[in-house]
Amino acid sequence: MGENKPDILQGTLDLMVLKTLESMGPLHGYGIARRIEQVSGQTLIINQGTIYPALLRLEQRGWIKAEWGTSEANRRARFYSLTRIGRSRIAEETRNWERISATMALFLAAPK
Amino acid sequence: MDMVRTFFSRIAAMFRGRNLDASLDEEVRAHIDMATEEHILRGVPKDEARRLALREFGGVTQVRETYRVQRGLPLLEQVRRDVRFGVLQLWKSPGFTLTAILTLALGVGANTTIFSMINGLLLRPLPVPESGRLVVLGINFGGPKPGFSFPEPLFRGLERRQSAFNTVFAFDRSPFQVKSGASTEVIFGQYVSGTFFDALQTPPLLGRTLTVGDDRKGGDPSGFATVIGETLWTNRFHRDPAIIGQKMTVDNVVFTIAGVMPRSFFGADPLQRPQIFLPLAVEEVLNGERSMTRAGVHGWWLNVMGRLAPGANLEQANSEVSAATNAILGAAPDARWVARQKERHFHFLAQSGSTGFTYIRLNFRKPLIALFVMCGGILLLACLNLASLLLARGTARQRELATRMALGASRRRLIQQLLVEGLLLGAAGTAAGLALSPVVSRLLAAVLLGGRPGTYLDTSIDVRVFAFAAAAAVLATLLFALAPAIKATSRRLVDRMKDGQHATLTHERSAILPRVLLGAEVGLALMLVVGAGLVSTSLLRLYNSGEGFDPRGVENISFSMDKAGLKGDALIAFYREMAARLSHQPAVTGVSYAHQVPLTGNEWDEDFTDESGVSHDIYMNSVAPAYFSSMRIPLLAGRDFTWNDTPATSPKIILNQSAVRQLFPNGNALGRSLRQKEGDKFAVFEVVGVVGDTKYSDLRSAAPAAAYVAMPQDDGSHSPSFTAFVRTSLPSGPLAGAVRAITAQMAPQIPAPEVTSMLTIIDDSLGAERMMTMLAVFFAICALVVTAIGLYGTLAYATARRTAEIGIRMALGAQRSQVAAMIFGHNLWVVMGGTLIGLAAALLATRALAGFLFLTSARDPWVIAASIAALAFTSCAASLLPALRAARIEPMTAIRCE
Repeated sequence: MGENKPDILQGTLDLMVLKTLESMGPLHGYGIARRIEQVSGQTLIINQGTIYPALLRLEQRGWIKAEWGTSEANRRARFYSLTRIGRSRIAEETRNWERISATMALFLAAPK
Repeated sequence: MDMVRTFFSRIAAMFRGRNLDASLDEEVRAHIDMATEEHILRGVPKDEARRLALREFGGVTQVRETYRVQRGLPLLEQVRRDVRFGVLQLWKSPGFTLTAILTLALGVGANTTIFSMINGLLLRPLPVPESGRLVVLGINFGGPKPGFSFPEPLFRGLERRQSAFNTVFAFDRSPFQVKSGASTEVIFGQYVSGTFFDALQTPPLLGRTLTVGDDRKGGDPSGFATVIGETLWTNRFHRDPAIIGQKMTVDNVVFTIAGVMPRSFFGADPLQRPQIFLPLAVEEVLNGERSMTRAGVHGWWLNVMGRLAPGANLEQANSEVSAATNAILGAAPDARWVARQKERHFHFLAQSGSTGFTYIRLNFRKPLIALFVMCGGILLLACLNLASLLLARGTARQRELATRMALGASRRRLIQQLLVEGLLLGAAGTAAGLALSPVVSRLLAAVLLGGRPGTYLDTSIDVRVFAFAAAAAVLATLLFALAPAIKATSRRLVDRMKDGQHATLTHERSAILPRVLLGAEVGLALMLVVGAGLVSTSLLRLYNSGEGFDPRGVENISFSMDKAGLKGDALIAFYREMAARLSHQPAVTGVSYAHQVPLTGNEWDEDFTDESGVSHDIYMNSVAPAYFSSMRIPLLAGRDFTWNDTPATSPKIILNQSAVRQLFPNGNALGRSLRQKEGDKFAVFEVVGVVGDTKYSDLRSAAPAAAYVAMPQDDGSHSPSFTAFVRTSLPSGPLAGAVRAITAQMAPQIPAPEVTSMLTIIDDSLGAERMMTMLAVFFAICALVVTAIGLYGTLAYATARRTAEIGIRMALGAQRSQVAAMIFGHNLWVVMGGTLIGLAAALLATRALAGFLFLTSARDPWVIAASIAALAFTSCAASLLPALRAARIEPMTAIRCE
């Protein structure tokens, strides 16, 4: 708890999860969390647990689905994969995010 | 779309809560295991690896909680938990719960019952297309109340001239004698004008409806047509699809059945369920000499309504009929009558007719609304009672609430939880009330409509009644649950958690809200008791006001001779023979006949000219010999009629005292004569007797001046149907059987005579008063019981909380009587305050009752004193029990308890 981990925007984590599933195929929660850490090159340190509410949110929207299966290490785990809806939404979500980050960049670059 | 999917997913999750929790736990466990293994593979020691994995995961509990909130619908989830907790709480105190539910069932049930009656009688629109376009026509006679019956010629006048109306139609109910085999059955139906069905726009189930073509003298070339109701079609014709074109004999005239109307159709009078519709023009054929149509402008009988033309509104219609008055009146045949009406500023009027028209509405609107107000009082009383009980319970539950607050429950959450508990009570009480309501309203409708055969009040629960009950329940719940909930969670509860029982006493003594609630309850109860006392006193006085005859032991047998075809001597012979046979029945001590049955609301009056040429309006009856002795009306002078007073002898008349006073102010009337104008000639009656005064058409009015003519001399110009008055000391059952047997033998062609006791007739004539009194007394008793429960309940709670204090007081030397007095005194002030306020309010409110009271002042001191005594007695009894219980407290046990 006491550690200072950055708050990250909800939508950001959602998009990270979607992109991860898009590139990696079906994956369990731990795998997704590790993949996000690896890709972000450890710059983004999140509590791995926060991934679960995000996964639930995406599942409720019907963008991803979950199934129990066995991992490489022969362990029971819940595997998440993109649904048809989820796949079709990635492009749109990406555009949204690019717009936001472009806007943010403009703000930050604005002369003081 | 995403939102919708999310919503359903959440709802689905609510029902699988436990499974999903387990699933998440397993997932998290797998996650941490995998992380631990990875760390171990990297060479981290086992213990360290697990700790690292947990740290990277973050707070497991937090994730689980966020996940849960995200998963379900938090508010619904909470409410579900509150409901479960509330049920548990209520289950734990069954006495309180039962009291609360019963109190509320009474409040909501009473209101729903009366509302369903008001709905049936006054509010429900007719089930016909566009009922909002219907209009009722009436006549303003220049007096305060308009009339709603029309003579046939005036209706025909209105029917012909119409521009604001699509159609103007008329109807009148009538019992019809329908022949089936050898016997005759009475079935209620209506005469309807040709445009009746056209205006009501309801398609028939079979065949066709009646049209203007049927409403003509002589009817169709094929004879008279009739339309019957589905009930008659089912009961009599077994739903025979080939019914159209069949013949049916009604009042000795053959009709062709042209159509069948569905059960849902009952015409324009919501209180009737006519099963035969006959064209209006047929009335003259069926009733012959006594035809109302033939009576012209002197026969007032038709209800007239209309359907507005497209684009026209009620105001236009009203001014149009008002303007048309003189033209229509002018066309009437009796010029003198017309002139008199014009003097009285006679004019037609139109009012909204979406709910149809029924006479009964005119009589019962006010009593029903008065009852509705009383019901409102009962509901308010129930709420006050529940509020004070909940308040007391809240005090007793302070520690539980304080504990929950200390554990982090917000005040809002606690109030929500208490409100949910209230809502549970409200829902249960309303459900119980709604379940009882139909039974009670059917019962009340029977009292209300007593003595009106063929009427039917539909008090069924429709959307309007249901919405009303729901609104009443929600409002009641908020009223009784909100204040205690806010109160119970107020003040720094946590501070008080540390205190023992006695430490809160200072707060409790100063608590003003519970006392105000209880005081208001007492005041309201007093108002209801006073109201009930007044209406029941009034009813008792009505019953004891003296009819002028002795109704006990008199059975009335009404013979329908209209269609029997007997006249003159043959008719009188029939009645004499019937009287002779009846008088041989066991326990029969007197038999006679009269044309008018007293106290039924029927009137017959004639103008007589006294010896100085002044005209007097006198109420009439036509009676057989021995009427006065059978009815125990004192014969003060002269003689009774005999069967020898025949049309061959000179006309005789018997007067009552009031008539003598009015017609012969100088004294003796015997042997003097009275004249009555008949056309251009005068009929002269000789006064042969003087009898005591009797009430005439109803009990409320004083006995009017009345005259009796001899039945054998009455040529049946009114009706050949007379009612037998039989004085007997036996119950009516065997007599009714005997009458049926004798009638079947003597005149099989007439319907079986109906036997009613005179006392039943009196009861029926007081339907509105009796219904009001029954309900008012019932409400008053309920008010007393509910108030007693409130006083007892709150005091018992308060006393229970003071057990330790009382123990100490007693240990310090307080006497048991002192303790009892202290507890008793707690309620004493509340009751006294409430009584004073209630008295003041009652004095103001009962003025509204004045219109319903008979020989009783709205401030009758005896009634008010008795009401206060009843309330005082109940309150004392309710307060004494906790006081006595307090006095029995054993000091040592009480103190040890703490």
